[in-house]
Amino acid sequence: MDRMNQSETERCGNQPASEPRVGVYICRCGGNISDVVDTDHVAEVCKLIPGVTTAKVHTFMCSDPGQQTIIDDIRQEKLDRVVVASCSPFLHELTFRGAVMRGKLNAYLYEHVNIREQCSWAHKHDPRGATAKAIALISAAVGKVRHSRPLEKIRLANNQRALIVGGGPAGMKAAADLAACGLSVLLVERSNRLGGKLASPQRMFPTGAASGEILSKLESDMRSTGRVEVLLSSEITRVGGFVGNFDVTIHGPLGPSGSMTDTNVSFGAIIMATGFQPYVPHDGEFLFGRHPAVMTTVALQEALAAAPEGKMLKVNGHEIRRVAFIHCVGSRQVEGVHQPGTDGRLNKHCSRVCCTTVLNQALQIRSRFADTRVYDLYQDIRAYGRGHEQYYTDASRAGVVFFRYHGDEPPAVTAEKDASLHIRVKDYLSWGETLEIEVDLLVLAVGMTPGPCEQIVDQLKLPRGEDGFLQEIHPKLRPVEISVNGVLLAGTAQAPMNLQETLAAAGAAAVKARSMLVKQHVELNPYVAQVDANLCEGLGQCVAECQYDGALKLIETSRNGRTVKMAEVNPGLCVGCGACVAVCPNRAINVNGWRLDQYDEMVDGLVRELVPA
Amino acid sequence: MAGPFNPELHVDLKRFGAKDLDMCMNCGTCTTICPMSEDSGGGFPRRVIRLVQTGQQKKLESSLDPWMCYFCGDCTLNCPRNANPAEVMMASRRYLTSRYDFTGLASLFYRNPLTEIIAIVLVGLFITALFVFLHGPMVLHRVELNTFAPVKWVELGDWIMAGTLSFFLLAGAVRMTWWTLGRRDMLRVSPMIFIRQIPTFFAHLFTQKRWARCGSHPSLIRWIKHLLLVSGYLSMLTLVLILLRWFQTDHVYPFYYPQRLWGYYATVALLYPTGDFIVSRLRRKEPIHFFTEASDWIFLVMLFLTALTGIMVNVFRVNGFPMATYIIYVIHLAIAVPMLVVEVPFSKWSHIMYRPLSIYLAGVKKAVADSTGKGSDAQALEPAAAA
Ligand SMILES: Cc1cc2nc3c(=O)[nH]c(=O)nc-3n(C[C@H](O)[C@H](O)[C@H](O)COP(=O)(O)OP(=O)(O)OC[C@H]3O[C@@H](n4cnc5c(N)ncnc54)[C@H](O)[C@@H]3O)c2cc1C
Ligand code: SF4
Ligand code: SF4
Ligand code: SF4
Repeated sequence: MDRMNQSETERCGNQPASEPRVGVYICRCGGNISDVVDTDHVAEVCKLIPGVTTAKVHTFMCSDPGQQTIIDDIRQEKLDRVVVASCSPFLHELTFRGAVMRGKLNAYLYEHVNIREQCSWAHKHDPRGATAKAIALISAAVGKVRHSRPLEKIRLANNQRALIVGGGPAGMKAAADLAACGLSVLLVERSNRLGGKLASPQRMFPTGAASGEILSKLESDMRSTGRVEVLLSSEITRVGGFVGNFDVTIHGPLGPSGSMTDTNVSFGAIIMATGFQPYVPHDGEFLFGRHPAVMTTVALQEALAAAPEGKMLKVNGHEIRRVAFIHCVGSRQVEGVHQPGTDGRLNKHCSRVCCTTVLNQALQIRSRFADTRVYDLYQDIRAYGRGHEQYYTDASRAGVVFFRYHGDEPPAVTAEKDASLHIRVKDYLSWGETLEIEVDLLVLAVGMTPGPCEQIVDQLKLPRGEDGFLQEIHPKLRPVEISVNGVLLAGTAQAPMNLQETLAAAGAAAVKARSMLVKQHVELNPYVAQVDANLCEGLGQCVAECQYDGALKLIETSRNGRTVKMAEVNPGLCVGCGACVAVCPNRAINVNGWRLDQYDEMVDGLVRELVPA
Repeated sequence: MAGPFNPELHVDLKRFGAKDLDMCMNCGTCTTICPMSEDSGGGFPRRVIRLVQTGQQKKLESSLDPWMCYFCGDCTLNCPRNANPAEVMMASRRYLTSRYDFTGLASLFYRNPLTEIIAIVLVGLFITALFVFLHGPMVLHRVELNTFAPVKWVELGDWIMAGTLSFFLLAGAVRMTWWTLGRRDMLRVSPMIFIRQIPTFFAHLFTQKRWARCGSHPSLIRWIKHLLLVSGYLSMLTLVLILLRWFQTDHVYPFYYPQRLWGYYATVALLYPTGDFIVSRLRRKEPIHFFTEASDWIFLVMLFLTALTGIMVNVFRVNGFPMATYIIYVIHLAIAVPMLVVEVPFSKWSHIMYRPLSIYLAGVKKAVADSTGKGSDAQALEPAAAA
């Protein structure tokens, strides 16, 4: 008690001018909470917390009447702080901030307490404990909110132009959609042609359309807008900045004579459409690279396009009487069975397009070359998309023979003297028996690995998933956004996708980018670091600690006529992680909304003893 | 280990009728449904389908599974891919019949029904020619069939034919036994085992009793019809091969006399089921009748005509129409003989031998496995360790 009183006096300087009036609202959640937590008791006890003016219980706080209670109380009880104790803030924090704003209070003078997931659900066999915990959490929140200061979203001028990295289908689609909304777009493609993997001719599932046709449609959609500038053979060499103000250096044939030069350009948003790279089997994997009759599905695609019609498929002049496909090469790899890549990582993911690609190619062979027999060695047939299953049915009907192996025992391939290949497969459709097949051509269904964009990923600190692909914020709720604000994901840069999914994702990314770019300003959450000029001695420990380039730097400023060093925050780049706060010996830097004095109050609130009369 | 595989096997089986075999995705529904599969331990029909898909010809040839299926069609009704597994079983029986037959004729007839028809016509013409050139005196004021076709000559012909047929059929049986008992391994089987299983063979030859358990409701009735047919067929064989002297007489006995009664019974027992089968196949109500191969038609129609002409001989003879009797008699033989010569060793009729033999062999295999205590020898009987 002594300690508490003492600390309370110490912090008097930080106290708001007049004692705040806090309203606390406790939700029953239709029994979800009140069946375990004694909500009426909680309300009674909360009234004892210093600063609490009113404490009420409601069956559904999120309902219109529930929210209206808050608004009415702000007016009638002259509340200037609000706490709602209900479900997870993921669900309803914004709901109640909205209510607070409608009551004409600053939205940041609000705290949310989760007494459902953290109390009634977590401790359903201990109602007394759950009730006590709810009181402690609310008490902490009240402590915190008493010291909250009004905050405003950070507003920065917006550069209303988009950069799209990658000129494959995803990049072209995103560019076309954005430009159709009237925005100006720069598309940077590292190779010397547009189209990505569509640039090599093939018949595509699930419609049988020629890749060239799709490609030229995509390109004309994009070009016809007149607002997309395309840079081929160009690359991003440096990228920095933040949403609304990305600052990029492009190296490409930009000079007057088309000579390679560097240019700096600013953008409001960046769409990553860097695509995928087909897995390259390592030397000797299924004899790849050692035997001329072993190739990938990518190479077969070209071979099929070039093959003369006839009774039998011909590849490089050789007649192919029998061809086998092996699925999942470079995908769904198993520890201890497969060799990790140069980065030491196994590709454990399923590449999703290779199954239907095999079926598509197998079917093309069977329908064009009646005398070429096709064997298909799979783990699972994942023909998941609309119309894909038909390829399996058709391939069966066309006499493709299927074998099923397990990932931990892949087929074994050996070379025969006569230039053919011998495959041994433990076939789970034959009760695990080992069967032997001889073929003249072996096609490896290679999967997808992430496209090459190391530079950008490193400089913008883009997160990658376990599979190496760029990772979205939330797989369901925010599927095309990445944790760096202003950067969006389109297509296979994010995960293996077929063309349909790629274009859908690109369209979604374009819409997201548009919603950012149409505004004159960008608004950012105010939870960023702020330096207290009175306390900062320019020690620079915070700058050394900060992980985000440009978020924090030391500047020279004059104080009392003297030039001193001081830390300065760039609110666009600061993510509010608080690393700087932890190292400052003077408590001179704080994250808004989560200041140290608020933490002190929360700790005090947690241990506060409240005994109802 | 399965050895290199014959990629043409599934193409081959299609020629024997397994047209939809490639559609099978190996889900195993058929095996779960099959009422015969579990106690035969074969995992069929999927196991048989898989052997065909993967071109394991040797294994298929040594498998008894196809003979354990009585074509109830339940599997076909339940197959989610319309792969018609029952038809694959049927086709593999045809295929096996053609493989057991060393002459290659069975294979030729099954793959190309026209050749079978030609063979039947040729044999029929040969029989007709024999009578045209070698018949005895034609008595026209009353029926004297034994003068027109002396019974001892006919009987001699019967015996020659029966000997030839038995030779081909036995040769097939030997090949079947040799393959299914593991070729050289067969030589190690104790003769006592072979002897002890003999009753099984005859029990199944006469009753086909396993069939009664096969499939959902209509099959009991079908089994009875089939049993009727078998009895009619065996009656016919007994009457013409063993009792011909008693059966082919010029004397007209009273209606109730056993010679006539037995003959009528055989006629009904042949005409009713064959007629019924022809009608159901035309109607295609049950799955087993969805697809009828040429060999099935030839078999049914020939048997029906044999019985029909047989009874007509009797009618004309009893009512005293000499010329009609002689002519229809020749026609009767010109149908019956080719049916037996072509169908028994080389086509559908051979199953009368192979079915009971397969159950006999399964018994032998099981006995061998039991005696050596090695389950693996009984591969075709015991389910392999499923993965
Ligand atoms: C063998 C095979 C067959 C397929 N068949 C089909 C099919 O039949 N039907 C179907 O729907 N899908 C199919 N797919 C999938 C289809 O190819 C992809 O969905 C599609 O190509 C993805 O488009 P994308 O734009 O995301 O990536 P990509 O096509 O890979 O394009 C990415 C582009 O970005 C460029 N790029 C990469 N990094 C940078 C950088 N740092 N800077 C600048 N530019 C960069 C690349 O040069 C490339 O042009 C197949 C895939 C494979 C592997
Ligand atoms: S899509 Fe098919 S082949 Fe490709 S990784 Fe997945 S399961 Fe394997
Ligand atoms: S035949 Fe039909 S039911 Fe049987 S395994 Fe094949 S697909 Fe399944
Ligand atoms: S037809 Fe009947 S007995 Fe034959 S495999 Fe099918 S379910 Fe089994």
